[in-house]
Amino acid sequence: MAGGRFLVLGAGGLGCPALLGLVGSGATRIGVVDCDVVDATNLHRQVLYDLGDVGAPKVEAAARRLRACAPDLEVEPIPLRLDERTLSSLLAAQAPGTVVLECSDQPDLKFLTHDLCGEHRLDLVIGGVQRWGGQAMAVRHGAGACFRCVFEAAPPAELAPSCAAVGVQGAAAGALGFMMAHLAVALDAGADVAGTLVALDLRELRPQQIRPARRAGCPGCDPQVSRPVRGPLGPACSSAACST
Amino acid sequence: MPNVRIPTPLRKYTQGREEVTVEGETVAGVLDGLEQSYPGIKERICDEAGKVRRFVNVFVGEDDIRFLDNLGTAVKASDEISIVPAIAGG
Repeated sequence: MAGGRFLVLGAGGLGCPALLGLVGSGATRIGVVDCDVVDATNLHRQVLYDLGDVGAPKVEAAARRLRACAPDLEVEPIPLRLDERTLSSLLAAQAPGTVVLECSDQPDLKFLTHDLCGEHRLDLVIGGVQRWGGQAMAVRHGAGACFRCVFEAAPPAELAPSCAAVGVQGAAAGALGFMMAHLAVALDAGADVAGTLVALDLRELRPQQIRPARRAGCPGCDPQVSRPVRGPLGPACSSAACST
Repeated sequence: MPNVRIPTPLRKYTQGREEVTVEGETVAGVLDGLEQSYPGIKERICDEAGKVRRFVNVFVGEDDIRFLDNLGTAVKASDEISIVPAIAGG
C-alpha cells in the first residue's frame, strides 16, 4: 500500500465491509462519515455492528470496532450530514492521495461526490448495491473513463426502486463492499484500475468487467464542457435513513 | 438470437430471468422485442423520446453503443447485450 489514507462516505451496507477490507489491507488512516445511528434492522448487512450498538452513532460504533481490529490504525469518526457545502469542505481538508469511497445510498450524492472529487483531484471508488447485486467503479479523473462517462445522471426517484421496497442481500453488500475496498487499495497502489466498472450479481455468479472509453463532451471529465448543474440532493434509496 | 443480460432492477419484468433471448437486428430492434415479450420493460430503459435514459447504459459485448451507432447499432445472433443502470443503494 502506498499512502494508505481513505475516506469512506457512508458506514452502512457497503461501507461496513469496505472498511473491514481497507483495514485488512493495511490502511493507515481512515475517515468514516455517516450521520445515522445503528438500527437493529441494519445488522444483517452492516457487519461492523451488533445488538449492543443499536442506537449508537454508526461512526462511533464503526471506529470502536476498527480500532479493536487494528490498534495502530488512525480512525476519524465524522458524524456529518453531507451536502454540497459540507462535502466540499471535507474533501478540501483531505491529504493529497486520500482515496474516497462513496458508499452512501443517495443516488445524487454519488454523482456529487464524483464531481467534487474531480475538483479536489482525489481518486474515488463509487459503489451501489440492491437486492442481489450492484456495481463498483474506480475513478481517477484524467485517467480513463469517469462515472459520468458511463452514467450521465442519477436515476430519478420515481424510476429507481427503493432499497426499502426491494431490499439488499447482506452477502451482496459484503461482496460489493470488499470489491470497493480492493479497487480503492489498487488505486492507492497505482494499479491500472482507473475507469474500470465491475458489476456483480450473486444469483448469476458471473462478474462483469467494463472498461468504457472516455466520452467526448462528458461534463464529468471533458475540460471543454461546463460542469453539471447541481441542485439539492434527492432522497436516499432507503426510505428514512441517510445510509442503509 | 442475441442474448440480453437483464439487470437486477428490471427482472421483475422478466419473471426473474437474468438472461433472455430476443429477435432483433439492431439494439433498437432488440429493445422492441424485449417490450413485446416483457411489457413495460422498455420504458425503464428508454425515455419518452425513445432515447436510452441518462442513468442507463447499453453494451453490445464490451462496446458502449454510444460509441457505435447508438440504438441503430447492428447486432448478430451471437452477440450479448448488457443493460447496465446506475445502482442507487448503499
